Amino acid sequence: MTSSPRLFSILRQGTCLIASIHTALDDSQLMVFQRDLVERIGRDRARGVVIDVAALDVLDSFATRTLRDIAEMARLRGAATVIVGIQPEVAFTMVRLGLHTGAVSTALDLEEGLAVLGGRLAGPAVGGR
Amino acid sequence: MPAPEPAGGVPDGLGSPDVAALIPIVRRIVAARVPDPATADDLVQETLARVLGAVGRIEPGMLEPYAIVTARNVVASMWRDQDRQRRHQHRVVDLRPSQSPDEGILAREDRVAMTEALTRLSERERRTLLAHEVSGQDTRSLAAELGSTAGAVAAQLNRTRARLRVEYLLALERVEPPTGRCRPVLIAISGGDRRRQREVDAAHHLLECELCARLSEPLMGRGRDRDDEIRVAVRTDSDVVAARQAAREAAAGIGFSPTELTEIATAVSEVVRNIVRFADAGEVLVELLDHPRRGIRITARDSGPGIADVDEALRDGYSTYHGLGLGLPGARRLMDEFALASERGRGTTVIMTKWREVG
Repeated sequence: MTSSPRLFSILRQGTCLIASIHTALDDSQLMVFQRDLVERIGRDRARGVVIDVAALDVLDSFATRTLRDIAEMARLRGAATVIVGIQPEVAFTMVRLGLHTGAVSTALDLEEGLAVLGGRLAGPAVGGR
Repeated sequence: MPAPEPAGGVPDGLGSPDVAALIPIVRRIVAARVPDPATADDLVQETLARVLGAVGRIEPGMLEPYAIVTARNVVASMWRDQDRQRRHQHRVVDLRPSQSPDEGILAREDRVAMTEALTRLSERERRTLLAHEVSGQDTRSLAAELGSTAGAVAAQLNRTRARLRVEYLLALERVEPPTGRCRPVLIAISGGDRRRQREVDAAHHLLECELCARLSEPLMGRGRDRDDEIRVAVRTDSDVVAARQAAREAAAGIGFSPTELTEIATAVSEVVRNIVRFADAGEVLVELLDHPRRGIRITARDSGPGIADVDEALRDGYSTYHGLGLGLPGARRLMDEFALASERGRGTTVIMTKWREVG
């Protein structure tokens, strides 16, 4: 991240990372987000990641693919990912567009997302889905 | 004529024998370039004054070459001044609203082309235009003379200016348009008249006609800024966000639902991303429509390599950059109308429209 205002923030909460996107991101900013987040997973030894996309104005094909890639990279690094905050109209549009987040978990909001991760992390393995 | 600055070590102006000896050669150089003897005299004097001013800094043997170079420079700077004056002369007869984006083309304005262009106007058009622009006669008194209204005269003047710009460009390039459609299209673009541009199907013609594609460049974006249309130039990733936000904002203004706004923004995002990815630059035009219903039309145009197989590109799952392959087909699903025209080597235009559900 370079200059203010911050486009996203990645905060640590226990063994989880909470990544919040603060504004509409363009494609290169999304790639920076992906790089920073995957890097932080290793550095903070995180076992779960919540990505809050409520502030994204659209989830188009590129943003969806990037989120899917992040989740897969996180999984390979031993962390589970939950995407939260997809707005109703964004969800509607994604379905009409034919986009889906694949095997990536989703939850309504941050609280639900952390609950999903809490349940998952309490379980036996992290590598599975 | 005194030396302009008291040059150290040279006490007596033209009396300096070295400098006086330079007069014939300076005079010859200047006279070879400037026919008018009075002007030439002035320039010789100025050259000598400059040489005198510098004499203390010049090595003895170098005085003559220095004088020769100075003489040439003095003549050249006079030409530059004259040229600048000539180029700025058109501002006295300013045919455009100020701050238009085609400053560049008019800076290269060529009087011959302008004269030629003027002769291609009808007698009435020319007289009215000149009366207004050169003699400064206002539209009201022109209207009284012509038995018309001030508004009609102003509209006619605008049309005349639009035609004049086109004729000027044609005259400047010494070309005659290859098809009968060229002039109407160029004039519609020059006048910034969107309705007329649609009538003559300007966007398609520009893809087909090389001459018009080239000539229309300086005419583009001339239309007055209107609040029912927005243009976004597209070069980089961040322009994709700017374009989709501009479209969303415009659509919100005419009462689209939040879901529809997201659909529009997403469709714009998909289409404009293709410009950034495949073409170097392009433009997005967002227009609000009134007929037959309220709606929004987005035109994304680029001058990139074009799409080799349009049917293929519109098929789900087709992707040339490891995307999801849902860009163009997805955008088509999100909008009510979707048209794509592409020509290899010339560019791609996508026009998509979404209508309001109820009046």
